[in-house]
Amino acid sequence: MDLAEKLEILADSAKYDVACTSSGVERPGRAGQLGSCRAPGICHAFTPDGRCVSLLKVLLTNCCSYDCSYCVNRRTQQRPRASFDPRELAELTIGFYRRNYIEGLFLSSAVAGSPDATMERMIETLRILRQEYRFRGYIHAKAIPGADPLLVERLGLLADRLSVNIELPSEASLNRLAPDKGKAAILRPMGQIARQSAASRRDLAVYRHAPAFAPAGQSTQMIIGATPETDRHILRLSESLYKKYALKRVFYSAYLPVVADERLPALSVQPPLLREHRLYQADWLLRYYHFSAEELLSPEQPNFDPYLDPKCSWALANPEYFPVEVNTAPRPVLLRVPGIGPKSALRIVQARRSQRLGMPELKRMGVVLKRAQYFITCSGRAPALRAARQEVAAALIDPKAFGVGVRQLSLDDFCAVPLPDSAPRVQALAAAGVEARRAAEQTRREAIECLTRRM
Amino acid sequence: MSYPAYVSNVSYCYDGSFRGFLCCVFESYAHRELPAAIQPPQEGQTSLFGSREIATRADRAARVAAGLHRLGAEIQACVTSGFLADEPGKDLILLRFLRCCFENGTAAAQMLARPEIAEALALARRVDNESHKYIEFLRFEQRGEMLGTVIHPRHRILPLLRGHFCSRLPEEDFMIFDATHGLAMLRKDKTVRYLQMQHYAPAPDAEEENWQALWIRFFRALAIKERRNERCQRTHAPKRYWQDMCEMQAQKRTTQPPGDVL
Repeated sequence: MDLAEKLEILADSAKYDVACTSSGVERPGRAGQLGSCRAPGICHAFTPDGRCVSLLKVLLTNCCSYDCSYCVNRRTQQRPRASFDPRELAELTIGFYRRNYIEGLFLSSAVAGSPDATMERMIETLRILRQEYRFRGYIHAKAIPGADPLLVERLGLLADRLSVNIELPSEASLNRLAPDKGKAAILRPMGQIARQSAASRRDLAVYRHAPAFAPAGQSTQMIIGATPETDRHILRLSESLYKKYALKRVFYSAYLPVVADERLPALSVQPPLLREHRLYQADWLLRYYHFSAEELLSPEQPNFDPYLDPKCSWALANPEYFPVEVNTAPRPVLLRVPGIGPKSALRIVQARRSQRLGMPELKRMGVVLKRAQYFITCSGRAPALRAARQEVAAALIDPKAFGVGVRQLSLDDFCAVPLPDSAPRVQALAAAGVEARRAAEQTRREAIECLTRRM
Repeated sequence: MSYPAYVSNVSYCYDGSFRGFLCCVFESYAHRELPAAIQPPQEGQTSLFGSREIATRADRAARVAAGLHRLGAEIQACVTSGFLADEPGKDLILLRFLRCCFENGTAAAQMLARPEIAEALALARRVDNESHKYIEFLRFEQRGEMLGTVIHPRHRILPLLRGHFCSRLPEEDFMIFDATHGLAMLRKDKTVRYLQMQHYAPAPDAEEENWQALWIRFFRALAIKERRNERCQRTHAPKRYWQDMCEMQAQKRTTQPPGDVL
């Protein structure tokens, strides 16, 4: 099998892993070595599904001895199998890296034989890269659940970021769909990584040359929509993971039906992309906006509104916080205004030291006022005081839920189709035969009406 | 300290260099005036106003540069990035910005609601954003003994790429050719030189095609069909960068109709 074919098979097998970030570690280049890392991460390409390619994301092998029912690489699935030789993969990484195609390597693997044997091969690949090629770029490695803690430690000393996939949001779902992986087997390496990473940071503060263990921290991912958990359950789980294991990121991946199984949603089910998007929005609110999961969702309303982003939903449910005075409100309060993010909040705080801010000033500074104008006052004056409720509802509603694109059938034949991340209702209407733009427009009208009544 | 200036109807002509621009700043203070325009030689002399040649003098430029240095790194970065912009009128925006900064000192960096400041920061941001896009999307090819690439940026971003690529490839020689402005950045034997060139001579090596084919195959394998969303792709990688990205050239060839133009 030639290299190109192997690369295609193993990239195809790895593509359902969501994490592809190169962030979290700042490491300038050094003479005699190759590569550097930038703390915010660098994306190098964007695939036609709009996801970024930052790392060479491949499996070391896709010959798996496990049989997890949601996974494309499971033992009983018929598909082409391949394996990289560690040296071959290292060479490929360097070739791509020099050409500025990638920021580094994302190495994962199916469990070939035992978890320990798989980890040994992954470690060998990273060792060749780091020691023989003197590679200083980014490496993200996946710890295999059930591997020996000593192997996890060796992996962490070579990689920048480690991740262990939590796979599904509850133990019951895990037992049902992935009988080979136990909750304990997943959480044990996570705890170990969190502990050793914290210890290594303490050492580095004292000794500059202490070995760095996973300096970019760890992340995890879970599948959304394959099992019946609510958004509230998922978000509370993420929150506890951030707190307990000091994770850098939790990734969510909308379940794509790739295998037919009576325990899973049918193959015809659309991936819940809008729900995934809402979860990411809420995840950002947890990490950068000082929200807690309890504030965003309640037992009475355990799922996100498909037509409103989580921050807008929260603002509408808590009108007593508003309006916020931009000239005096502290930064955490500004951050709660829909439409104002960390950058805008910082700019407002800086700019108001030298002058009072009104609407023209905010506009000039690049603060987006489409939604914010209904929640703020400038020197006591509300910019959109007289707005009708329906107008407010139309401005607050998320246009992403009503996205319609064009599909070209032949040279001069175009037809409108709902975008894959539009609201389920739009897709259902379109599937029932309503023209896509009309379906989107109708859903939008209904959503605005409903929201106007609620306000 | 306040230095009043009067809007005059003279336009400054300078040699287009950064020192020349600093001399224009000096001139503006010396004459207590705000010119109607500042013209580098590339911009034609179409002004209605009387023009004045501003000679580039090292001593004057050094005085302004020392003042600029005192204003702090943030303001310096804004002026140097903004100066690399290839937009008519950028010099006047920067002059107004600098006058505002000299008046208010280091605190000016935070007066984001002032029109002079906001305008200059937006200008610098446009240039910085473009340079960041090229840090992401530039694709090196093995050309002869060194890595090389041709890019087509709007602004003169080569100096902003220098730090990143020298740090990333400390042991390599490379050349980045800006085809829009006919400039090249050559890094050889660990020193960087800027050259004026019309075209980039050594063609990519024969083996380069194999590497690009590998990369394109990897890139294609990554896309998930059910999530296809080309509008999102274009948001992150706008079409004007595609000509410098080999995998997007390949995508363009294969998704000619029929296909999705979501």
